[in-house]
Amino acid sequence: MTRQNINRFALTLVGVVAFGLPLVLRSPTYLHILILLYLYAYFTTSWNLVGGFAGVLPLGHAAFVGIGAYTSTILSLQYGVSPWLGMIVGGILAAIAGVLIGLPTFKMRGAYFALATIAFSEGIRVMVENIDYLGPFKLNGPSGFQIPPKNIGLVNYMFIGKEPYYYIVLVMLIGVLAFTYFISRSKLGYYLNAGGEEPEAAMALGINVARAKLIAMAMSSFLTALAGTFYAQFTLYIHPKSVISLDLSFEIAFIALIGGRGSIAGPVLGALLLRPVSDFSRIYFGATLPGLHLIIFGTVLVLVMIYQPRGLQEPLTRAYNRLLDKIIGQTAQGKVRHEYS
Amino acid sequence: MNILEIKNLVKDFGGLRAVDTLSLSIEKGQILGLIGPNGAGKSTAFNCIAGVYPPTGGEIYFAGEKINRRKPWDLCKKGLARTFQIVKPFSSKSVLYNVMVGSFATTDKTAVAEEKALKVLKLLYFEDKKDERAGNLTIGERKRLEIARALATEPKILLLDEVMAGLRPAEVDEMVQIIQKLRDQGITIFVIEHIMRAIMALSDRIVVIHFGKKIAEGSPQEVASDENVIKAYLGDEYVVS
Repeated sequence: MTRQNINRFALTLVGVVAFGLPLVLRSPTYLHILILLYLYAYFTTSWNLVGGFAGVLPLGHAAFVGIGAYTSTILSLQYGVSPWLGMIVGGILAAIAGVLIGLPTFKMRGAYFALATIAFSEGIRVMVENIDYLGPFKLNGPSGFQIPPKNIGLVNYMFIGKEPYYYIVLVMLIGVLAFTYFISRSKLGYYLNAGGEEPEAAMALGINVARAKLIAMAMSSFLTALAGTFYAQFTLYIHPKSVISLDLSFEIAFIALIGGRGSIAGPVLGALLLRPVSDFSRIYFGATLPGLHLIIFGTVLVLVMIYQPRGLQEPLTRAYNRLLDKIIGQTAQGKVRHEYS
Repeated sequence: MNILEIKNLVKDFGGLRAVDTLSLSIEKGQILGLIGPNGAGKSTAFNCIAGVYPPTGGEIYFAGEKINRRKPWDLCKKGLARTFQIVKPFSSKSVLYNVMVGSFATTDKTAVAEEKALKVLKLLYFEDKKDERAGNLTIGERKRLEIARALATEPKILLLDEVMAGLRPAEVDEMVQIIQKLRDQGITIFVIEHIMRAIMALSDRIVVIHFGKKIAEGSPQEVASDENVIKAYLGDEYVVS
């Protein structure tokens, strides 16, 4: 067996398990937890295009979730447009917003960039909370929108059980993972990494760093907004505090940092580890210790940053490679070099 | 034909004039050395040419075209590549990855970029390190990586900023050979260097600057015996009359 074959086998196995899970797992609670897990893995993978590859730390991605959720919901409730179409419109609006936010903020470095993105997303939240009408569109201020479960079916992106949502978000996650994999191996991926690590050297090598970052930002915010629509259709209730909240932005960043930003597997790993913590702490300590999960995240983040600054994906990848070496039996031939790209 | 021509270049930082009415030109295929004591303005001049700093005054022509205030990435695509005195590797990536970033300047395809990068690594006797993490390289290897990356962009002219500083004597000799090899391939080379042995061996012509001003120009022998140059390096009392 070659390394590639084992990798392919493992991936297929994970795929089969993921697709088959709803057949075995009948509990709606567990399906709900899994759906949110995939959703957060999706959010974080989209975030990773900027936060990981481009080496900056955006902390305002909830703004794009909000733009996606509000756009499709307003269009469907007030104009009867299918949420699927609204999802694309929301994505495009979010991409435009992403570029507009990126233009001034990408000139900043480090913490200043993070703070600026927080300011933008909080600004959007406060605006939505205080505006009832934006031109012809009703925003409904702080109370948000309840989506009445009428005309249930695929066209209206509304289903009775959890299974359809499960499969939709799973396909979205696989799609975005494939997309980031493709980007990371493309010219843009190299340019983003180079510009993130050493902008001056990157510029001297023919890279318009600011442009590469803006392209990544546009793609990232577009993809994030698509999941915003999913969130709205899944919960059927959105309000500024739920979809444009700092909590959401922070949780995405937590997942990325702990899982390993800049890698393909990092966001998924992070979501796998952190989402259950957050869900179970809400289930068991929601009444007595609300926000416990954030304390746990913080502690885990500190530990990970001290001992594994490149995230948990690094030791796990190493362990996986060692396991593969054992299976293939290359260990006898001495140290095997692993690529760093 | 002059591939690079600088006329009366001036660069001020606040009240400090770092480069003062500097004029020089490089013929295609030549190796031009730029020397001068510490703080003479060599790197500043380089940065003006490479588009990092906008010049305060004067004109810079590359292949007949005025390039004042052009952005570094545009210049790189036009065929002007440079290395940095303080090396800037993409530390978390492999050597091959670093060089591929450079080769993307002339292609959009990853496979082509990889092929070109491997060719450059071979040319620089650097293939065996291709999977090494750039952050783990020695200083000599990092300097070589700087050249490899710049070379991968397929430049017409290469600006080398102290690529031999910090190298062992044997490494210096190897670097001299590499630079000569690059010139033989038709690349024009503009080099800043402190190691006299190397610059004397390499350069077709040498320009000496001091306090941003050109104080001498000529063949290595001419420059080495120039009174002003000796003064600049050693001080007035050492001038042999």
